[in-house]
Amino acid sequence: MILSTSYSIRSGFILFAVLIGLSVAAGPNYAEEGAGETGSGQKRPKIAVFPIFNLSGTPAPLKHIRQLLSDNLKADGQSIIDEQVLENVFARNRIRYVGGLDFPAASAVRQEAGADVVLITSLEHYSYVLPPKIALTSRLVSTGNRIRILWMDGVGLAGDDSPGLLDLGLIENPDTLLEMAAQRILTSLSEFLSTGRKQSDFPSASRKHRPKVIYRSPVLDPAVPYTVAVMPFFNLSERNFAGEIMALHFVRQLVAHDNFNVIEPGVVRAALLRGRVIMGGGISLADADLMSRLLKADLVLSGKIMDYQDFQGAAAKPKVDFAAEIFEEKSREVVWAALSHNQGDDGVFFFDWGRVNTAYVMAGQMVQLAVEDMVEPE
Amino acid sequence: MVKWTQRINCRSCILAFILVWLVACSGGSNISENFHDPDMDFALLRTVAVMPFDNLTTDRLAAARVRNTFMTSLFATGVVYVIPSGEVVRGIKRAGIENPVIPSPEEIAKLTAIIKADAVITGVVNEYGQVRSATTTANVISVSMQMIEKESRKVVWSASTTKGGISAWDRLFGGGGRPMEDVTEAAINDLINKLFY
Repeated sequence: MILSTSYSIRSGFILFAVLIGLSVAAGPNYAEEGAGETGSGQKRPKIAVFPIFNLSGTPAPLKHIRQLLSDNLKADGQSIIDEQVLENVFARNRIRYVGGLDFPAASAVRQEAGADVVLITSLEHYSYVLPPKIALTSRLVSTGNRIRILWMDGVGLAGDDSPGLLDLGLIENPDTLLEMAAQRILTSLSEFLSTGRKQSDFPSASRKHRPKVIYRSPVLDPAVPYTVAVMPFFNLSERNFAGEIMALHFVRQLVAHDNFNVIEPGVVRAALLRGRVIMGGGISLADADLMSRLLKADLVLSGKIMDYQDFQGAAAKPKVDFAAEIFEEKSREVVWAALSHNQGDDGVFFFDWGRVNTAYVMAGQMVQLAVEDMVEPE
Repeated sequence: MVKWTQRINCRSCILAFILVWLVACSGGSNISENFHDPDMDFALLRTVAVMPFDNLTTDRLAAARVRNTFMTSLFATGVVYVIPSGEVVRGIKRAGIENPVIPSPEEIAKLTAIIKADAVITGVVNEYGQVRSATTTANVISVSMQMIEKESRKVVWSASTTKGGISAWDRLFGGGGRPMEDVTEAAINDLINKLFY
């Protein structure tokens, strides 16, 4: 009896040690050095919160959003690089592009500001007209010599997403919506910083948002790990920055899959500038080859966006229409192509049930299903 | 003997009227034309380039939308490899084609040599968008395409299709017809069926 008790105590102790070890191993590894230490002894990264990159095409309270993110992260006990220190680094190194991180910027931010990771946030939609709408995408990128997307998540909200009975749930104040969006982003980020989870689970996308036409070559093996470079989409729509927004949707969905190593969009942008690539009507084979070589990418994803409409007002319905294709470096061929288009009221017949209010949410679901097809073909 | 005027009762009059009315109202278009060169072996085609389409509509993006749908749908058949649009643009620039929507046989020869295509497909979007009849509206598309083979530089396939339009259902119940994207896909699928079957 005594023997069995000591055995159970010992096995319990071993189990506890294993669990502690697993939880430490599961935690994110931000960088090789320089991570700050909290009172509990757990290493916490120093985060540089970049200014908000405005892809909404409209004036928006960018400073307020950045402040909201910084303050909430500080309140969560995270180590945040002072805004003025970061601004000085930007000024000294003439860093103007804040929508991504390239190697010179990553090196400068690490060496001069001491940041282990950078929080890059893009504002993709902002409307204060009733009902207000907002869409944000954030990602945490490691600094130094090895730029990696560690975490990425996004949120799209409309004031009338859940109006409830007699419109009691209608959100009329854009600041309230903004705080909700920031809170969702930060909850996901906090979860990543404590557990290492890359992003919050995607809600199951509606089947009506599946790609309408799909081509998939047998060359594309879902079991093989690929390094993917996502090019900005060729924008044929009337919405400014729709190409960049669509590329971010794909980056976000691909990051969620373990067999894709997605190259940071800032690095892709730098390579496009270095290679002087101008995509007139789409990416050519020569450009795709060049990008594969410069970025050491196995796959180059590009596409066209025909519609990305996000009208203002309650009666407005979003519309998204895009085509995407993937070049494979070895075969020098397109190995995957998809065509997808939807409107916010597709499949809606009664009482706006199932209606999607923002192009961001709809595009997210469309891309999610397209990427799922890429990974696990039916 | 019963006179023919006595045989025509009220019910048969109504039925005849409804029949005539339905036939008159059924304007939903489903017109198509097709030509295949009898000397051409289409199984030899492996790589196809789709040129930018000519746009005869008021929608400035109509040609790009239809071409995009056609290229992806043709890809999805898995029968031929469709050269990506960016590569086609590069080929057009290198071949110095002035008007890519109607390339000359010499320009086609140059282009196919550069981008290594077996054939070139050109197209014209004749109609794309809403049509109106009294208070009823619906979407309609009318596209024609032709394939030019690289060796002979001859047109080996030509087809046209019209889909959508105002149907009897639209006239009776309204609704604005099918979405433009659905009508476009129907037209493209019709053209692809004509190309292969």
